[in-house]
Amino acid sequence: MEKMARVTTALGGNALTGRTMFCHLDAPANAISVCRDAAQVVVAGRNIFKIYSIEEDQFVEKLNLRVGRKPSLNFSCADVVWHQMDENLLATAATNGVVVTWNLGKPSRNKQDQLFTEHKRTVNKVCFHPTEVYMLLSGSQDGYMKCFDLRKKDSVSTFSGQSESVRDVQFSIRDYFTFAATFENGNVQLWDIRRPDRYERMFTAHNGPVFCCDWHPEDRGWLATGGRDKMVKVWDMNTTRAKEIYCVQTIASVARVKWRPECKHHIATCSMMVDHNIYVWDVRRPFIPSAMFEEHKDVTTGIVWRHLHDPYFLLSGSKDSTLYQHIFKDASQPIDRANPEGLCYSLYGDLAFAAKESLISSDSNRKPYIGDRRHPIFFKRKLDPTEQFEYISSSSALSVFETDVESGSMDWFVHTAKQYALAGRPLAELCDHNAKVAKGLDRNQVAQTWTMLRIIYSSLGTVSSTNLNHSMGKGSTTLPLMNSFNLKDIPSGLGSESRLDRSKGESRTENILMDSSSTLINNEDNEETEGSDVPADYLLGDVEADEDDLYMMDHENPHAEEQEYSLPQEAFPLRHEIVDNPSALDHLQDKADSPHVSGNEAETVSLTPVESFSLISISHSLYENRLPSDFFNPIVRDTLLFYAEQGDVQTAVSVLIVLGDRIRKEIDEQTQEHWYTSYIDLLQRFQLWNISNEVIKLSTCRAINCLNQASTTLHVNCSNCKRPMSNRGWICDRCRQCASMCAVCHHVVKGLFVWCQGCSHGGHLQHIMKWLETSSHCPAGCGHLCEYT
Amino acid sequence: MFVARSIAADHRDLIHDVSFDFHGRRMATCSSDQSVKVWDKSENGDWHCTASWKTHSGSVWRVTWAHPEFGQVLASCSFDRTAAVWEEIVGESNDKLRGQSHWVKRTTLVDSRTSVTDVKFAPKHMGLMLATCSADGVVRIYEAPDVMNLSQWSLQHEISCKLSCSCISWNPSSSRAHSPMIAVGSDDNSPNILAKVQIYEYNENTRKYAKAEALMTVTDPVHDIAFAPNLGRSFHILAVATKDVRIFTLKPLRKELTSSGGLTKFEIHIVAQFDNHNSQVWRVSWNITGTVLASSGDDGCVRLWKANYMDNWKCTGILKGNGSPVNGSSQQGIFNASLGSANTSLQNSLNGSSVSRKQS
Repeated sequence: MEKMARVTTALGGNALTGRTMFCHLDAPANAISVCRDAAQVVVAGRNIFKIYSIEEDQFVEKLNLRVGRKPSLNFSCADVVWHQMDENLLATAATNGVVVTWNLGKPSRNKQDQLFTEHKRTVNKVCFHPTEVYMLLSGSQDGYMKCFDLRKKDSVSTFSGQSESVRDVQFSIRDYFTFAATFENGNVQLWDIRRPDRYERMFTAHNGPVFCCDWHPEDRGWLATGGRDKMVKVWDMNTTRAKEIYCVQTIASVARVKWRPECKHHIATCSMMVDHNIYVWDVRRPFIPSAMFEEHKDVTTGIVWRHLHDPYFLLSGSKDSTLYQHIFKDASQPIDRANPEGLCYSLYGDLAFAAKESLISSDSNRKPYIGDRRHPIFFKRKLDPTEQFEYISSSSALSVFETDVESGSMDWFVHTAKQYALAGRPLAELCDHNAKVAKGLDRNQVAQTWTMLRIIYSSLGTVSSTNLNHSMGKGSTTLPLMNSFNLKDIPSGLGSESRLDRSKGESRTENILMDSSSTLINNEDNEETEGSDVPADYLLGDVEADEDDLYMMDHENPHAEEQEYSLPQEAFPLRHEIVDNPSALDHLQDKADSPHVSGNEAETVSLTPVESFSLISISHSLYENRLPSDFFNPIVRDTLLFYAEQGDVQTAVSVLIVLGDRIRKEIDEQTQEHWYTSYIDLLQRFQLWNISNEVIKLSTCRAINCLNQASTTLHVNCSNCKRPMSNRGWICDRCRQCASMCAVCHHVVKGLFVWCQGCSHGGHLQHIMKWLETSSHCPAGCGHLCEYT
Repeated sequence: MFVARSIAADHRDLIHDVSFDFHGRRMATCSSDQSVKVWDKSENGDWHCTASWKTHSGSVWRVTWAHPEFGQVLASCSFDRTAAVWEEIVGESNDKLRGQSHWVKRTTLVDSRTSVTDVKFAPKHMGLMLATCSADGVVRIYEAPDVMNLSQWSLQHEISCKLSCSCISWNPSSSRAHSPMIAVGSDDNSPNILAKVQIYEYNENTRKYAKAEALMTVTDPVHDIAFAPNLGRSFHILAVATKDVRIFTLKPLRKELTSSGGLTKFEIHIVAQFDNHNSQVWRVSWNITGTVLASSGDDGCVRLWKANYMDNWKCTGILKGNGSPVNGSSQQGIFNASLGSANTSLQNSLNGSSVSRKQS
């Protein structure tokens, strides 16, 4: 009694105490109900009917109401309810249709009080009147509701729903005479207890059965209903028509709903299948439960708030034969784990960002900016000012950060892909073209690479003696430029370690140039014997291009230049020690005549950009015929690998294609294939289908090459005899006529062939397009109004 | 430089995920309001909502696009314990005329007993495959054997991760040298020191996924995880969003050494770790070349990270979600786009392109 007294004072302001705890029941529970003093709970089921007292940290079994050797079906409970005014009064609904009342004050072991055997089928629900001690209501599977006066032997009145089974009955808290009943066909009926002939009001609340309902405890005329359609709906019954004011979508059919005490908008729900959890929802935020109890291992069958005025203690019984007390602070809160932000990088470097508004507008007094329409700065939803503080912020702002051309955008990739020349011209020309493209897009390192490749691979055998003079002549104008260029840049390229004395450098460069010209002349004979069939003006153009490049470099502002030259150098992780410049040049000079140059030196030479420019002037002479370009393959290979590791697979693949067999054997097939697939995938992302196709065609990997040949079949019929063309030629087997004649020029079409699907006449794409500009009739004269799509 | 284009998303609850399609022309958003919206980019760059429909009966956590080779296909996953595959219906209808498109559900994957927290399509070269992970710690891999029939998916693998999973990422590498691989992040916040990032690799011999690595250094709840686009690299880059942003590289060790065991061993390095968000990091996303990482955190900012030539990762930009300049952050210079008056540009621009010179 002492304990009872203490708990009862909870009403007066002292909070309930306890912890999350559970006890094992002997059998699955069907329903639970709590005594009004919040100290005891009754658990009822098919094979269980017990009262537990709720101690500080455990449940203690107080009383087993299933007595007798052979328990009758009357003990098999579908529902149980503890009277909220009389601590000794209980009522149960039995699965055999009997309504039983129990008096705990009875001195005998059997507490059974009254037995009402009026329903013909299972009674789903029993309910005491909130203020009237002797009034009990029952709802049954047989479609009837009955009202009992516990002082009488029989029911006082019977209400016929005139529809299917009754799933729940609940007395209204506000109106003395009103009760609500829910039905399996989705209807909710409101009855006046004094008028058993006809319901006061009926409305369809759910699709499918309405399993439960609960009146709001603060007598606001709100009724919550839950149904098999997984919805919880809150109805305002004050108006003449029941108005749906909130709707919560849960993930499984709703078996029980219970308003949370002291929290106007909170409601607890549990499901009758699939889902074993108990959720507490804020009906204003109908999408995410504000709390979740995940303890049960099987369907939760009964939930009840421990005390009428305490919102933190929830009791539940379950099919898993456990009785739980849940404490709110131990609930998991899905919203806390929910991701408040979304972020995605687009192909073009745009960023889509969605974030909870409260995160991004922390300075809440900032006025929403109303900017120009083109770039609305930020969409802010207007919140109702009264709601703003009490309502949990639950909207996100979505914005796309768009890059412009200079920074993160991927335009460079598209331009490069479109403009690169990969085949169809001599190597040197390809390299120069590509270098120019890269340079035009301010990708100097890549441009440098192309230039170096040209020097390494194309100097052999491309210089014909007839052009030599040209190049010499041109070269001479280039020389002073080269000179100044080198002088200016060597120091900046080398940094402080190897300061080049100006005069020394000057003389050396002159030496090289002198030397190169002499070697050129010396080598004239060799050139002639090796003379290639390169067009005469080719080399000329070549040199001019070089010259242009040099001019460009020279005239760029100093700042850019500095960046340009520092970049490539530092971009290489120092694989090789960079030997200081002068000595390297010396080596070159010395060994120019000897056929063997050690690998180290050559690598050193090609590594520093400054020297590579020196190479422009000397390559023709120094490396011609002497240094096989194979020699550089390891370096080129490393370069390509470097680009690939940096995420620039475009350069790697382009170089691979341009160099072709020269480099292919250096890189293992699998890596090449990997590069190709990556690059092709990237091209297709940018919808550069033609280029992707070109790459597939030009690739030397078998796995890539056959990509284009997969699953493409063309079935062609002869235009004369309309029979399928069996062979691959131009002549139809059957009618012995050329099948694909151009209707305009009367020649066989061996290329893009377009034809009308109506009359099967057609021809060269160009011809037909031209024809259709002037006439819409078939050019073959068949009179068909051709349609091309 | 970035220009913020704000979109009236009109979702009735939080947006949990945004996803661009393969070509960057379409965008899908999903929200707790149980709906998914599809946005199409018009010629002038505006985003228009062309479809909005209720997808689940719970919060939709993630939405993701399939490779367009398989059609216009989306997958979504939800608190309601299911994942679903959606396809856009082509053909003329009244919807089309109104600029709306119609999406139909092709399948519902109901194997999970708890909230499905992430869904991702496998890289295209693996066929039409889908991985989901759920809060009870199971990663499921489904395959549609017939790519023309999106309503038939068979559960191929079930990987038990022991920890509640929050995110997954496929390794996008198309190289034959790299076996299919999937990284799983866990948001388990119980005070244990288990690795919250696990990497599973497909073993050709056993035809099963087996744990290849666990990132032992990550012990805090992980919210997002992302492999960088591979693009021909021989190694893999993995970004992890936990209480900070972390970037790992995974270098496969030589196959010869490990071929007996079947699983690849990796040399794992953490190459960057940033706590600039000062709080939980929720999302990480790579740009298309895998060179820039964007992260967003509880501070409401998006931060961009980029490596320099020395492989030092640095912050190259901060974008404030509402377009306002970032207050009190010393590590970046605020550069304003030069459009309009000084005032509007301050509001409009985001200091995206500014390269911070801070040595972090």
